[in-house]
Amino acid sequence: MVTLYPEKLLNIITIDSLEDKLVDSFKKYGVSGYTIVRARGAGSSGLQADMSGFDANILVKVILPEDRVQNLLDSLERKIRKGYHLTVFVHDVQVMRPEKFNTPWHE
Amino acid sequence: MSSLNNLLLPAVLFFALGFIARLIKSDLRFPPDLAKVLSIYLLMAIGLHGGYELAKADLMMALTSIMWALILGFSLPIAGYLGLLLTGKVNPMDAAAISAHYGSVSAGTFLTAIAYLDNISVEYETYPLIMLAVMESPAIIVGLILAVKARHTLAAKEGSSSSEDKAQMADDDDENNSGFGALLREAFTNGSVVVLTGSMIIGAISAPSGMAKLEPFIDEIFMGVLCLFLFDMGMVAARRIGDFRQVGPVLALFGVVMPLFGGVVGAYVGANALGYGVGGTTLVAVLGASASYIAVPPAMRLAVPEANPSFYLTLSLGITFPFNVVVGIPLYHNLAQAIVA
Repeated sequence: MVTLYPEKLLNIITIDSLEDKLVDSFKKYGVSGYTIVRARGAGSSGLQADMSGFDANILVKVILPEDRVQNLLDSLERKIRKGYHLTVFVHDVQVMRPEKFNTPWHE
Repeated sequence: MSSLNNLLLPAVLFFALGFIARLIKSDLRFPPDLAKVLSIYLLMAIGLHGGYELAKADLMMALTSIMWALILGFSLPIAGYLGLLLTGKVNPMDAAAISAHYGSVSAGTFLTAIAYLDNISVEYETYPLIMLAVMESPAIIVGLILAVKARHTLAAKEGSSSSEDKAQMADDDDENNSGFGALLREAFTNGSVVVLTGSMIIGAISAPSGMAKLEPFIDEIFMGVLCLFLFDMGMVAARRIGDFRQVGPVLALFGVVMPLFGGVVGAYVGANALGYGVGGTTLVAVLGASASYIAVPPAMRLAVPEANPSFYLTLSLGITFPFNVVVGIPLYHNLAQAIVA
């Protein structure tokens, strides 16, 4: 029987040009890693069709310990106040190796 | 007569085909990044070709062209900004973002103009190509300055409550957005500028024998790739025109009037200040008239998040680009003929 440990999964949907800024925040707030997939859809910013790359969205996934979530959320909140469109939602998830989510990634 | 010529250019017909395919809800889809791949090719090819020609050109003339490109690049967005504020239909943030698009240039429109001139066998100077590279960036900077100014004005209007916000923003993590030096770096290192300027330098310093081997890449397939590019862009434009209602008639009118204004200014600069012939003058008019849709939108999304992307994308991609490709280019050519003669 494999033991699972609780972590938080933070999801962010936003425009692709914001990727570098988000990654900078991740580094600053001690995120251990991230996954980004290209996305399209529709919502409060209208249709994001990703036609010829002109209005591409990204879906960003970050797993992190609960005690680090709030600082990162604060930084996202500041971006939203500046006018960036971000859809943010947090899941409770269970992971196999919690130590993976403690140390920041190397480049 | 000449406008009929333009409409019967294969590249323009493919633009129309893309537009129609979208309107009749065809399931035709290009890979998401195709337009970007093709525009890298187009900039490379035109850069190599132009650099090779420019190596033989007059340095003073090249420098004068650069100077006028900077003057146009810095002044056209300011004119656009004032024009937009006069309409009373947009807030200063949107006006700043939109005008940055109109001060910058569209390589797609420029290349269509070259195809048009080639088709009717009109000779043109190579200098406008340097102007194309130079004019990508200044308008981005002007747009950002106008947006910063508008942001301060809005913050002052909102009064004391915003000072707290400001303090919070000051400790934000994205310092790379705040420094003016960083903004300059972003404006001048954007992909199109690097590809075009780099290819021109390579074209200028390469051995002629090496350049001759590139002939099929630079010349022979060029028009075919341009067709493919405009085919794709026709679909993108048709998708954008759907947002027409959101933009409204006054702004849509701006999308036609502003290129005409920029075209006239560009034509006079080309003919009178730079002394180009009909071909070169047409190309400078096209530079003045065209609006960016590749370099500027991501820059504005990042730096002016308060502005509504539907406005600037619909105006530049859905209205001004098709207008220039179909109606504008022959018009600027006629204008150039009238002024130069």
